[in-house]
Amino acid sequence: MILPSRSNASTVADRLAEIVGDRHVLSRPSELLVYNSDGLPGYRRQPRLAVFPGARDEAIAVVRLLADEGLPFVPRGAGTGLSGGSLADDIIVIGLHRLKDIISLDIENRRVTVEPGVVNLRLNKYVAPHGLLYAPDPSSEAACTIGGNVAENAGGPHCLKYGVTLNHVLAMTVVLPSGEVVELGSKFGEHDGYDLRGAFIGSEGCFGLALDITVKLTQRPQTVRTLLADFMSVDKAARVTSAIIASGIVPAALEFMDGPTIRVVEASIYAAGYPKDAEAVLLIELDGLEAGVSADLEVVRRVCIEGGARNVKVARDDVERLKLWQGRKKAFGAMGRLASHLIVQDAVIPRTRLSEILATIGAISKKYGVLVCNVFHAGDGNLHPNIAYNADDTDESERVHKAMTEIMNACIAAGGSITGEHGVGLDKMGYMESIFSDNSLNAMCELRGVFDPEHRANPGKVMPIHSCKEWNAVASAR
Amino acid sequence: MPGCALPGTPLADALPGINACVHCGFCLQACPTYLNLEDENDSPRGRIFLMRSLLEGTVKPDDPSVQQHIDQCLGCRACEPVCPSGVPYGQLLEATRATLRESRPNPFIARFILFVFARAWLLRPAMFFSRLLAATPIPTLLSGVKGRIGFAMAMLASTGRSIERSPYSAISRGERGRVAALRGCVMDGLFSATNRATERVLKVNGYAMVDAPGQQCCGALHAHAGDLENARKLARRNIAAFEKSNPEFVAVNAAGCGATMKEYGHLLKDDPEWHERAAAFGSRVRDVSELLAAAGPRAGGALPIRVTYDAPCHLQHAQRVTQAPLSMLAAIPGLELVPLHDSDQCCGSAGIYNLIEPATSDAVLAPKLANIRATGAPWVATGNPGCLMQIGAGLIRAEISAKSIHPVDLLDASYAAFGQ
Repeated sequence: MILPSRSNASTVADRLAEIVGDRHVLSRPSELLVYNSDGLPGYRRQPRLAVFPGARDEAIAVVRLLADEGLPFVPRGAGTGLSGGSLADDIIVIGLHRLKDIISLDIENRRVTVEPGVVNLRLNKYVAPHGLLYAPDPSSEAACTIGGNVAENAGGPHCLKYGVTLNHVLAMTVVLPSGEVVELGSKFGEHDGYDLRGAFIGSEGCFGLALDITVKLTQRPQTVRTLLADFMSVDKAARVTSAIIASGIVPAALEFMDGPTIRVVEASIYAAGYPKDAEAVLLIELDGLEAGVSADLEVVRRVCIEGGARNVKVARDDVERLKLWQGRKKAFGAMGRLASHLIVQDAVIPRTRLSEILATIGAISKKYGVLVCNVFHAGDGNLHPNIAYNADDTDESERVHKAMTEIMNACIAAGGSITGEHGVGLDKMGYMESIFSDNSLNAMCELRGVFDPEHRANPGKVMPIHSCKEWNAVASAR
Repeated sequence: MPGCALPGTPLADALPGINACVHCGFCLQACPTYLNLEDENDSPRGRIFLMRSLLEGTVKPDDPSVQQHIDQCLGCRACEPVCPSGVPYGQLLEATRATLRESRPNPFIARFILFVFARAWLLRPAMFFSRLLAATPIPTLLSGVKGRIGFAMAMLASTGRSIERSPYSAISRGERGRVAALRGCVMDGLFSATNRATERVLKVNGYAMVDAPGQQCCGALHAHAGDLENARKLARRNIAAFEKSNPEFVAVNAAGCGATMKEYGHLLKDDPEWHERAAAFGSRVRDVSELLAAAGPRAGGALPIRVTYDAPCHLQHAQRVTQAPLSMLAAIPGLELVPLHDSDQCCGSAGIYNLIEPATSDAVLAPKLANIRATGAPWVATGNPGCLMQIGAGLIRAEISAKSIHPVDLLDASYAAFGQ
């Protein structure tokens, strides 16, 4: 038997097509254009190829082929990321959206194993009939994938009480950039040795690809109550946020939307009935046992009224409750009503300094003549200043970027961090040196080197290249 | 945008709609072609990105892959009701297709169909021949043949399978206003019994029916394919024809036609002479279910059957009419409505898409058929001729015993039962 020679003229694209089928490899520049951006319209990086494995074994074979060839790659889910995390020039995009099987549901032990391309909301619909839910609920839940959630350690409104992706992933099967397949974590909860599962979650595609993910499921609460408190002042809403937390109650979610955001949402198909003349609303959800929720509801209502809320409305039924939530969750997408481009940051600040930082953001917005829409997870101090702008207007673009940089620096100065859930990606790399020392950055580079010694997985992300001694050594050796 | 690569084209004109997209991706899971083809180029966001790239000049209108992904769109507009920024996707698609047509004509079969539909003197004999053929056993015999011929035969075979009813006379007091009905092309040619039933049920519900002679094909197929000139020509003729009989409402029992006619104002927005007339006309257009729902509709006689409902995309997504057809079914005593999983998903008919993009159309139809089978209902109600034939043909070819039927026919059968 004569084996086909590896060294014949077949290109990488052809050999990828042998693994996944012709239709699932893109090599024409015009077809790759779409993969040069993600959920943030501001960044574009042109990949060399895109490949979409349709089964776990295909994904492993793809990674091994790229390892043999020494080619860099970037994993991609639904492309809803907000930090440019799945973009890089001249790499191979490995789209994992076709791996969308729910592999096994273990109702008794409240866990489910899924492939990385399963959409967050689909998982929730799948487990709902069993009275269960998957708690992390990013606002992009209707589109984003569990694999992407793991890569970015995604949060969401209900992570205030329930914790972020990291707190819900039990175990993963991962294919490392070398092609080696490893198990991280344990389906039974406790892992042995170092928590490499924890290191992988939030590694932004730099440590490899998850082939399957086992997550914890949570029992649906007996009672859920959702309040909408509206304010004629941003400051009062910010102070009430701190006061609710200070009262000792941990709401399931505590979300803040300012006036400009309210008006954009109310103009959209997701209009939720937020008062259009308000300067801020708080969307507060309480859940748990009926008795406790009723008591907490009264406390929260009182704190809101005493703090200057104009109205506090409690959703009458699930229909109204979901409507209130849809408005909040689709707010980001509705910003297109203002302008074609959008920049959003997700700095985290100490909750006690919310009022002060919002005032600073207001002042920065005035100084640069840009419109900042604030819609964010107030309960855990995770800000989302959005600025819609026209990227073709160079003067406006410049002002927007200066304003955003100033906002970020103000958050850092207040003792905050640069990303709560969107990841560093391309977008926040410039801030890494503001919050980490050289030694810390180097330690992170070394950790990355353990998973991906050749730095082929999502190159040029998270770590500013020049800050990584080890990396520089590799680069100069090439 | 600095320097538009395609100035003066319909696409350049659509730039504000393109700019409304901020890439959030909330449309992906609503898109049947993304779910089936699994490539973002075949998603609404991806296609909008291609449209933007065409205007930026980073891709050329003669690029075959761009054409392919634009062609592969069903135009179901399921992305519109989920878009927080309100991107008018259907309009963007038509503008893009109109722009691409300039560098490459539509495929022959599409041009042939559009040519015939734009000419009443050709359409009438074509429909007459189809009717003759449908009355023979030939379509049923050939409905299992592989490929598009067999599928087309199955479509024809599915048209003669409506519910039996005895004649009754519908008398109207006319208190709800004067209504002229669109006869339509396929509806008139292959579903004339449904057209007659439409008049009867509207009369029973208090509408006075008036004729609108001179009406033609609504131009929906032409607009969807990017042939905006012929679509406008047909729109002008229809506006003039309906204006003459001056009805308060124009009733349409084909969701695809109704969606286009409601949007005549947009189609003729740059025509100073016709724009206002078109907008005024559009505001009178109603799906037949809307008129019936406004009147109740009146309850009929008992019809003890099990029915499942599939929402035509151009009713659900384009016209946003969701409850009215269900109120028609609810007015039928004894009718048991069986919920259909993913009833808001496209069936893959999409005008003439099923003849031009058969592989994708079949892929979109497959889950629809499986969901219908799972209901066990012997009837699938849907208010659009394309969907009636697509689902009808699919059911025949998959040997599922259910039949597709227009909700008007069910209500009519209920009124017929009441008369007895």
